[in-house]
Amino acid sequence: MAALQDGPVELDAEKETKPEILSDGTLNISGNTGNGALSSSPLTAAPAGGAPKQEDQQTLIAVLQFLKRNKLSESVDILRREAGLAEDQVDSLAADGSGGGKGDGDGGDANSLLSRVSITAAAAPQSTLTPVPVKRSEDHPDVRVVLSAYNQQGDPSLYQVYYSDLKNFIESVLDCHRAELSQLFYPLFVHMYLELVYNNNETKAKAFFDKFSGDQECYYLDDLRVLCSLSKKEHMKGNEALLDFRTSRFVLRISRDSYQLLKRHLQERHNNQIWNIIQEHLYIDIFDGMPRSKGQIDSMSGSLGGEAKREVNKAKVFYGLLKEPEIEVPLDDEDDEAENEEGKPKKKKTKKDSIGSKSKKQDPNAPQQNRIPLPELKDSDKLDKIMYLKESTKRIRLSPDNLPSVCFYTFLNAYQGLTAVDFTDDSSLLAGGFADSTVRVWTVTPKKLRKVKSAADLNLIDKESDDVLERIMDEKTASESKILHGHSGPVYGVSFSPDRNYLLSSSEDSTIRLWSLQTFTCLVGYKGHNYPVWDTQFSPFGYYFVSGGHDRVARLWATDHYQPLRIFAGHLADVTCTRFHPNSNYVATGSTDRTVRLWDVLNGNCVRIFTGHKGPIHCLAFSPNGKFLASGSTDGRVLLWDLGHGLMIGELKGHTDTIYALKFSRDGEILASGSMDNTVRLWDAMKAFDDVEMDDFTAATGHIHLPDNSQELLLGTYHSKSTPVTHLHFTRRNLLLAAGAYNSQ
Amino acid sequence: MASPKTVPKDAQVMMQILKDMGVTEYEPRVINQMLEFTYRYVTTIIEDAKIYSTHAKKSSVDADDIRLAIQCRVDQSFTSPPPRDFLLDIARQKNQTPLPLIKPYTGPRLPPDRYCLTAPNYRLKSLQKKVSSSTGRITVPRLSMGAVSSRPSTPTLGTPSVQTVGTKVGTPVSLTGQRFTVQIPNSQTASVKSATPTTPTVQNVLINPSLIGSKNILITTNMVSQNSSSDSTSLKRKHEDEDDYDAL
Repeated sequence: MAALQDGPVELDAEKETKPEILSDGTLNISGNTGNGALSSSPLTAAPAGGAPKQEDQQTLIAVLQFLKRNKLSESVDILRREAGLAEDQVDSLAADGSGGGKGDGDGGDANSLLSRVSITAAAAPQSTLTPVPVKRSEDHPDVRVVLSAYNQQGDPSLYQVYYSDLKNFIESVLDCHRAELSQLFYPLFVHMYLELVYNNNETKAKAFFDKFSGDQECYYLDDLRVLCSLSKKEHMKGNEALLDFRTSRFVLRISRDSYQLLKRHLQERHNNQIWNIIQEHLYIDIFDGMPRSKGQIDSMSGSLGGEAKREVNKAKVFYGLLKEPEIEVPLDDEDDEAENEEGKPKKKKTKKDSIGSKSKKQDPNAPQQNRIPLPELKDSDKLDKIMYLKESTKRIRLSPDNLPSVCFYTFLNAYQGLTAVDFTDDSSLLAGGFADSTVRVWTVTPKKLRKVKSAADLNLIDKESDDVLERIMDEKTASESKILHGHSGPVYGVSFSPDRNYLLSSSEDSTIRLWSLQTFTCLVGYKGHNYPVWDTQFSPFGYYFVSGGHDRVARLWATDHYQPLRIFAGHLADVTCTRFHPNSNYVATGSTDRTVRLWDVLNGNCVRIFTGHKGPIHCLAFSPNGKFLASGSTDGRVLLWDLGHGLMIGELKGHTDTIYALKFSRDGEILASGSMDNTVRLWDAMKAFDDVEMDDFTAATGHIHLPDNSQELLLGTYHSKSTPVTHLHFTRRNLLLAAGAYNSQ
Repeated sequence: MASPKTVPKDAQVMMQILKDMGVTEYEPRVINQMLEFTYRYVTTIIEDAKIYSTHAKKSSVDADDIRLAIQCRVDQSFTSPPPRDFLLDIARQKNQTPLPLIKPYTGPRLPPDRYCLTAPNYRLKSLQKKVSSSTGRITVPRLSMGAVSSRPSTPTLGTPSVQTVGTKVGTPVSLTGQRFTVQIPNSQTASVKSATPTTPTVQNVLINPSLIGSKNILITTNMVSQNSSSDSTSLKRKHEDEDDYDAL
């Protein structure tokens, strides 16, 4: 390949001169008439440079040509591999052979890899030939695919020409197709730019960038800025996200009609440079049906990897909730309850818990009880459940007419160091993670925080007394808040366990720590991520927890295993938010690559990919019935997703800054969102989910037309006095709690 | 922000860089921090390059040295996360094993003790025992040995040794002075038994950086005694004798 690379360099140095054209013309003509490798050997001679190799190469190439003509593609590959021939050498001749019908200078440039020799010459004649449709021989499709080798060496100056041509073409097609084909601009632009940079054509890359970057969609602005700073090959090496972009295929969804139009155009214009890039770097998911409108496309695009392929979102997701275990709740009042909370049958009538025994048969959309191992309910868990049921009877029914009250917990004097907040489910404890690597736990109720006595004191208590559980707690050090030290970096995620015994915290020091809330000491440090861990959450049943970090994976852990149980890999950039589904069988992750993915805990597969956000996603919330997912990102929009069908069903616009907190009310009627713009907004979730109409077409193609009803769905906006909202929590009685650190600037 | 006239040139350059990269809002100290970082990075690279060029016996530093210096530093300090195909590969391996069943009723579900941070990593010697036998000697709180673990990633060193069972309390008294051996279990993992040195020797105090997982620095010392055989090299938690917790 080295010799070949020298070739174009030499030729590029020479200006496009007449003699060159002539010589190329002669070469091509001779190639055409010769109709085979032998006559085009001077072609290879120029770049190859080594005279003694020519004869051997000639014969090899001749043989290859013969095989190709007889459609023996496999033998071609094998022979080519063994002979160690560079593909473009052969293919340049292939193009020559196939271009036999044209008989003029453009036969060379049609195939960009060939263009080593003729490219400079071809620049001039190419544009004049464009309107002439020439019957392109389709007999070497595999060659063309093979041609788009990694070191694609089209002439850099021609990239601009190709791109402008494509632009002109797309602008000239019918409106209905134009929106779809415009999707091509961005990935093509990025790939061509990266090719130029990769091949060390810095100035050309810069020129290309300057000319065409303004045409791209506005939501790609951040990416373009990053691209702009990349002007040398060395810059590319350290940038993992970019390398992934190069190797993974950007997915585009285009209707069949538009695709045919594009294909016809590219092939008739010999614009194989673009065709090659499309085939190598882009994945075009073709669907049958109406082309999409600009609005529809805009709502789904924006992610680093393009959109999601249709088959990715076809796996069955068990979004139903697990059946609640039956707990016998005594029918009578509180005073009797205290003695008999175990549910032992009393003399008085007892009533079965209505939640557990509602339906005997399995919800088809719910996973099996034993699909994933879940911890058994301990007695204390049963007590918790009874408390939960009692509280939920006192729950306020929320509706657009009956909005929740909001209680805001402001962290004063936090010096903007507050990085994570969590509430327990019964809203009795509040934990804050700070940039100074501490975790602080506060009690929200009048009951103070107590830790277990030291071993010396424990020996002295009477173990047989009834209130032994009270006695083991140390009254002397009871306080309203406790500080937990241990991390060596800012704490970015905190999560309480459902039984209020443990607290998890994840930090920039790449560890996740499990703290006991009975002794207020650190129990375990889980190491696995080698990079900052951005978020962590306990499963709704305890025992499992999920974490996501800078290394672009999310990991599922169990508290009693020092290594992760599952690794969810697939995102193209950091995983910033991880949430469990209410049935604990699925994990949703939001990432900086602007996609939300749903993973199956059982086997680690990605079952849903949702694209549409235009910025990194910072918060996720599952609806309590498990059917829907809401996600919020830096672009200030909240998107609603239907998990069963894998579609976007709503878009809530209103916030002007990053959304860091999302929570559904306890029965799923209201969605609350909190953002950096110091507001909490309430949205009508019931209405948003009711409006969804699913007909076969939308289910098949996934193109739903979203009504722009954000204004109707917005129920209220509540401003705080310069305190960005970091966390939201609905109490069991549907009171909304919010938390944030006061920002004095 | 200071007015452009009074700001030194490289600060102006840094402000321009931040603007080009799209960073519009930042605290004024950020510029100083960036400049510091730039200065530190460049001097480190150039120093490294100088070392490489003298090693190659060249008269002056040239581009190759700089390139090598940059490459070495990048591998060391600015690592990037592993590539996607590698991650997909290990994910596939990891996800093949079925989820382990959960044992019922086992109390707090925690990993094995050696992976937890629950063990005490120090032990205080009570004063009263030594008063009689050690004259004029300052009793130093002795650091007890933690269990040796051969896993470098272990955040803790497990259980304290059982030096104190009954009769053995007196033995450390026989040591003279503040002599204690410090042993790093990870570097000498030839045997799990860390109690091999039975003679009181002073070894180098090494602190294994891998143990410094948290703010605590765990220094393990080998309680040198003739009863080293009873050192708990096992990883089970041994019951601390009540003698230790006598009311002081």
